[in-house]
Amino acid sequence: MRTLTRFFSINLLFLATLVCASAAQAPRDTIIEAILAKDKARKIELIGSLVGESDEAIKPLLTAWKEDGLFVYQTPEGSVSILVMLAGEKDANDAQAALRIDNGQPLLDAAGKPVHLVGGDLTAVEHDAELRGAMKNVLDLLALATPDVVKRIQAIQAVGFSQDVEKIPALEKRLALETDSGARKSLREALAVTRLKASDADKLTAFNELKDLHSLSSYDLIRTAMRDAEKAGKPELAEAGAHALKAIDLHRTKINFFGTLFRGLSLGSILLIVAIGLAITFGLMGVINMAHGEMIAVGAYTTYLVENIFGTGITIPFFGFSLPIPGIHATGWFYQTYFMVALPLSFLTAALVGIALERSIIRFLYRRPLESLLATWGVSLLLQQALKLMFGSNNVQVSSPSYLSGNWTIDDITFGWNRIFVIGFAGLIVFGVWLILTKTSLGLLIRSVMQNRNMASCMGVRTERVNMLTFGLGSGLAGLAGAFISQIGNVGPSLGQNYIVDCFMTVVVGGVGNLAGTIYSALGIGLVDQSLQQILLNPVLGKILVLVAIILFLQWKPSGLFVTRSRNLDD
Amino acid sequence: MSSLSTRHKVELIAAGFISLFFIVIFPLLNAHGMVSDFTINLWGKYLCYALLAISVDLLWGYTGLLSLGQALFFSLGGYMMGMYLMRMIGDLGQYHKPIPDFLVFLGWTELPKFWKPFSSFPFAFSLILLLPGLLALVFGFLAFRSRIKGVYFSILTQALTYGASLMFFRNDMLMGGNNGFTDFKFILGHDLRSATTQRGLFIVTAIVLLLVYTSLRLLSHTKFGLVQRAIRDGENRVLFSGYATAHFKLFIFVIAALIASIGGALYVPQVGIINPSEMTPDKSLEAVVWCAVGGRGTLVGPIIGAISINSLKSWASRAAPDYWLVILGGLFVVVVLLLPGGIVSIPARLKSLWQRVTRQPSA
Repeated sequence: MRTLTRFFSINLLFLATLVCASAAQAPRDTIIEAILAKDKARKIELIGSLVGESDEAIKPLLTAWKEDGLFVYQTPEGSVSILVMLAGEKDANDAQAALRIDNGQPLLDAAGKPVHLVGGDLTAVEHDAELRGAMKNVLDLLALATPDVVKRIQAIQAVGFSQDVEKIPALEKRLALETDSGARKSLREALAVTRLKASDADKLTAFNELKDLHSLSSYDLIRTAMRDAEKAGKPELAEAGAHALKAIDLHRTKINFFGTLFRGLSLGSILLIVAIGLAITFGLMGVINMAHGEMIAVGAYTTYLVENIFGTGITIPFFGFSLPIPGIHATGWFYQTYFMVALPLSFLTAALVGIALERSIIRFLYRRPLESLLATWGVSLLLQQALKLMFGSNNVQVSSPSYLSGNWTIDDITFGWNRIFVIGFAGLIVFGVWLILTKTSLGLLIRSVMQNRNMASCMGVRTERVNMLTFGLGSGLAGLAGAFISQIGNVGPSLGQNYIVDCFMTVVVGGVGNLAGTIYSALGIGLVDQSLQQILLNPVLGKILVLVAIILFLQWKPSGLFVTRSRNLDD
Repeated sequence: MSSLSTRHKVELIAAGFISLFFIVIFPLLNAHGMVSDFTINLWGKYLCYALLAISVDLLWGYTGLLSLGQALFFSLGGYMMGMYLMRMIGDLGQYHKPIPDFLVFLGWTELPKFWKPFSSFPFAFSLILLLPGLLALVFGFLAFRSRIKGVYFSILTQALTYGASLMFFRNDMLMGGNNGFTDFKFILGHDLRSATTQRGLFIVTAIVLLLVYTSLRLLSHTKFGLVQRAIRDGENRVLFSGYATAHFKLFIFVIAALIASIGGALYVPQVGIINPSEMTPDKSLEAVVWCAVGGRGTLVGPIIGAISINSLKSWASRAAPDYWLVILGGLFVVVVLLLPGGIVSIPARLKSLWQRVTRQPSA
């Protein structure tokens, strides 16, 4: 106290400015005033007035004060005392850079150089338990005013779940100031949760508030409060609690339902994207392409390469030759466009591989479907090994562009951007395939060749060429699927193996030779799979049940959902 | 007719010599140290694979049903035998508890109910036949009743195998999960690690293979065998001639499942491990390769194929491990495209080639 008295006497001029400061003074000045105030009650009052403020200076200053980091510095001439905060790294002499509290700038000596001081040589600004308590209160609630909304909401939730009744005024004050709707909701929730510890009337309003908010996270707290009310013999309070729990349960069921629906749709869309290529090669052409999965992997690796070319480049173990691929070091939005470049390239690469496969092997096997199965399985082994030797046997990671990461939350239901994108894109692909098949001359030729190869050939259609292009189209679509799958999970040489069984199932259930059937069966299998997972809480068991369900379904409809009628006995 | 019977005589004599070699001479050479224990163990494995290949051929080569589920039946038999062998370890495991190590690891203190009867060999043996047989019966009944055939049958059996492997990969199936069963010690009171037991197992495998071969050879000469091949070549005509093709196919499917299962049951004590990776659709396809390379539609073909490809695999996985898959895949493509009859068709092809060459100058 002695120090401060001396200080007080010396720096009269400075004080004068403080005394005249208006009520809406800056938090920095409030803190200085609090330091200089003689009366402890006044100090606490001043510190308390900082609650709910969001100035950046409050936190470092109060923290420093609590931890003996604020000092009174006297200029060498001894004429002026200045309040400083020591910060930064200690140098060899234990000295630190000094910052002025009144404006946050470095303290400069007469020559204009920053002053370095040793804390032990100076007089620290004093504090006691009561002051520290007041400061802690300010610091705790300071987080409630963090400019970043996400952090603010986290802080609000933390305060709420501590259920400290003392903090109700602070929360109320913040609620009055808060403009962001998400933060307002968290504040209401935090207030209500805290009030569960307050008086009975407060508890009743809290129950009703939580009921309206469908607050999932406070479920356990509500239950505890309800049990307490039951024990204390307050039936109407317990009833209000029960109502709140019921409303939250209902809300949870709704979230699970829509969440499952959404995940089912997105899984169905993935299935649709990977299976639509197969629906063309298997469904329309009748070729059992076991290497379809590897076409997906080819597309995924193309995306991986494009991403790295846009980035810093990469060295791949290309058949043991360690081939460096230069990158163009793109940044910002230009880098983000890599995916848009990767999509057509994935299509083209996979289509070219598919055409090569058709020309070299499959065209000899059109009349021997079982053998096309075996030969393409051989090809799938070859391609897997080739990918392994080109890119290494470890999985690689493809980073998603920023517009594909992140979530969109409506009413506690989370929708991932990438999944929404996949659903939208599945729609686009289906539309595109439909356009190609029905509105272009190539589509007309494809359909004519698939319906009756000999007749089409007699009419002058070059069936060989049409076969090649159709197979290229189917493989290219698999490549597109690969580009998407690279955004959802890791990319590895055996990526295709995870999808091949699902692909065939989807096409067979939908009805071979029918694209509409593939759409229905993909979405259906996706929804059933996710619902079973939700019910059984076990992904593997769900998958096994789906397989069993498919086998049983084919008992009922042996040729799938949509039957292509034919008079041919062996079809 | 007479030419046919001489061919038969030749085949009979050849088969007799080969089985004499495998059943008597090979083990004798081993007993006198002229063939290493490793070799006889390796050949025992090949013969088990030959059983698997024969079961594929019975379905694919003789009946036209490409089943991708034979690896499932093979490993089911293996698992049943494995359960018996696990019980025979007794308390000699790592944890010295009377139950298998992986159960101790999963926190079990006493044996789950369905494990208990497996300490008896007759029970395990009957399940080796019953479980795959029943599964094949039910699945086959459903599939053939709704006239699922051709590639759809392949895809469905592939899905069945895939589903089963997913199930066996799970720990709470209580069948060893990922790692499966291993560390076997005794079979019927004999030490599995001794050369004598392994030799005995080899002889048993060779005898079983001989029995399967002979009975299938006999079956193919009956009217049943004829119908079987007729189904392969034109199922609808057989159906319209008044045969219930579904029953024929179902019978063959069950028989093939049993052969594969017995092969698996003999495989496990000789190899010393069984895990779900034996059950994947890929393994089924591999067995189809053996059959295709050896020559489908013959009974010798799959045996030759299984032995030659697996010898190649043993060599390749030491000499060029990176390229084994390339060799296998390439072999498959080449055989399907250029040599649909497999190895056994090579002599006939050479003969016709020779005839063409010798005839041309005279013409």
